[in-house]
Amino acid sequence: MPFADALGPRRVRIGVTGLARSGKTALLTSIAANLLALGAGRPALPALAARLGGRRVRVATAPAAATGLPRFDVSRHLAALVADPPRWPERTEAASLLALDLDLPRAGLAASLPPRRLRLEFLDYPGEWLLDLPLLARSFAEWSAAALRRLEAPETAPVARDFLGFLRGLPAAAPGDETLAATGHALYRTALHRLRDEVGLSFLQPGRFLMPAPGPEPPWMAFFPMTGGGPLAGLLRARFDAYLQAVRRDLVSPLFGDLDRLVVLADVLAALHAGPAAFADAAAALGAASEALRWRRGWADWLGWETLEALLALRLPSFGISRVAYVATKADHVAARQRGNLAALTRRLTAAPREGVASAAFAVAAVRCTEDVVETLEGRPVSAVRGRRLPDGRMLRSYPGEVPDTPPDAAFWAHPFLDLPVFEPVRPPDVGRGGVPQIGLDEMLGFLLEDLL
Amino acid sequence: MSETETRPAEARHPAPFLRVEEAPAPRLEPVAPIALPEPRLRPRLPLTLIGATVLVVGLPALWAAGFVADQFARGAALGWFTLAIALLGLGLVGGAILRELRGLFRIATVDQLRDALASGDPARVRGAARRWARLVPEAGAVLPALDAVADPAAMLALLQAGPGAALRARADALGRNAALQAGAIIAATPSPALDGLAVGWRGLRLVRQVAALHGLRPGLLGTLALLRRTALAAAGVAATELAVNAAAHALLSNKLLQHVLGDVAGAGVAARRLVVLARAVGIACSPLAPE
Repeated sequence: MPFADALGPRRVRIGVTGLARSGKTALLTSIAANLLALGAGRPALPALAARLGGRRVRVATAPAAATGLPRFDVSRHLAALVADPPRWPERTEAASLLALDLDLPRAGLAASLPPRRLRLEFLDYPGEWLLDLPLLARSFAEWSAAALRRLEAPETAPVARDFLGFLRGLPAAAPGDETLAATGHALYRTALHRLRDEVGLSFLQPGRFLMPAPGPEPPWMAFFPMTGGGPLAGLLRARFDAYLQAVRRDLVSPLFGDLDRLVVLADVLAALHAGPAAFADAAAALGAASEALRWRRGWADWLGWETLEALLALRLPSFGISRVAYVATKADHVAARQRGNLAALTRRLTAAPREGVASAAFAVAAVRCTEDVVETLEGRPVSAVRGRRLPDGRMLRSYPGEVPDTPPDAAFWAHPFLDLPVFEPVRPPDVGRGGVPQIGLDEMLGFLLEDLL
Repeated sequence: MSETETRPAEARHPAPFLRVEEAPAPRLEPVAPIALPEPRLRPRLPLTLIGATVLVVGLPALWAAGFVADQFARGAALGWFTLAIALLGLGLVGGAILRELRGLFRIATVDQLRDALASGDPARVRGAARRWARLVPEAGAVLPALDAVADPAAMLALLQAGPGAALRARADALGRNAALQAGAIIAATPSPALDGLAVGWRGLRLVRQVAALHGLRPGLLGTLALLRRTALAAAGVAATELAVNAAAHALLSNKLLQHVLGDVAGAGVAARRLVVLARAVGIACSPLAPE
């Protein structure tokens, strides 16, 4: 028995992150259903099966053990997809964990050895938290100046009027009063929620103001951007620094950090429809998230308690994220001919990760809901998609427009991209036990697990 | 088809559109059947075997009938006496054949139970568990708990943790016993040529013991069918190789046994094979998926 196996199954933690409504729940449901189907010998995930080269992998849901994270409820979400009429899985509001045990037969000369056990932990990592990483490189003054400049822009100022009014009313040397801090924080937080829900912006910081960590909220969360000096600014600066400490701690904590690989989801097609401002904002968020992945643990972190705890638990301390998959979701809303452009566009929107990190962009439909058709328009054949619209069940044929393979220019925005209808999912075969029809998910998993198969 | 929305576009690209089909359409099915269950090939008795069986059973029956008729021609008492002997003999043979067939059918019920347990339908899973409880008393203990849950996955987990684990432990114990006996037999066998025969005999007995543990009482044909299933289940045993290694190691670390087997080439291998065989037969006889 190889020495590494004697220490227990190898744990690989994959963070699945994306801003709200990017399709995290559907992706995790599809990953679980398809991997379990593959383990049961069903022909799901063909690209991954091809990488396995005929080896029969066994897949089972891992026991929850004693972690404090809620488990991702696969059966409930899968039941929604297989129901007749089907529903899309409900949004998950809190972080959750999907853990699967894989028994991988060895390849080559080691084929006669017992199979290798691998524990894949997919952590539903709030995308909002990823946007906190760029904060680590900023001071309170720099962040405050940038945040206020953004709030005062013409398209956001009306929504943030209450907060901006409060800020302007504060005296130059405002006292470090708790009531003032709490009031300003509540107004800023409301402005962030409205900017997300009403204006459709994504790049909003701090992320934990929009997606708080589970448990009671610590008092240092009550801060807001403020320029200038004085006791109140000093209090807010101290709280901002405490917030950054918590972000650093979460990054290496066994509960939320310790990620080995990352999947970053983005609804690029919806951003194309939303217009130039929303697209630029989503592109900035995606760029900042990928840029933040350049963040590397310092030597002080390596020598900390987390490393000691990992060694005591007989597992290697995390060496950081080694693979990143950038995924444009809902790829089945455009025809196969355009999915290459969608992946290329996603690739262009993300910064190249730091050296030693492999990255790739994919166009994925985790739960397929259309089929490709060819329509004739003014005598010319056009590749389109066909699917049943929810909730009325009418069959639609859709061609939302041409997907560019580079960030769109002014000419593109002259002819807006059509809104994407909500289609119902294709019926999963054998009540979900045969997996969930998908596009590109098998290639994405093949890339993420390439060095482990 | 009605056109609902069309926008102008650059000349090089067609204009975007969204069209509603007027005719109602059913829910989309997967384009290619990506995951149809693999059809199970049921073994069919070859015609030659059926013909041979008819001859083997039919001709003696005809011969016996003719002989009884001849005996009646010689005398009524002699005829009745011959008829009684013929009926007794043929009845015993028929009973044995029926028992063989029943053993075979019981093995086939394992497949039916597997299908039902994997159906995902709570009622079918519960029904299969009840039928299994008729074969295996250990399964009866979890029936009240099964009635209390509605999730098929939870029902399977209960069956695995209760009767599944108990049967595995008892099959492993039988395998260890057989391994000990095989080691002793090999050590006592005067000729190495007889070693294979001795271990083969013990292995066959082990197959029947583990089958009986699972409520199957196979005859000759049933044992042959079980051996075929065991060969197929051997792949599943690869997954439990670690556990088997540990069991064999624990067995062979017995000081006395090491002393006896240490000098007998192949005894350790034979013992280990019997431990593996017990696990493989257990997988073949159980309607639960191997862990």
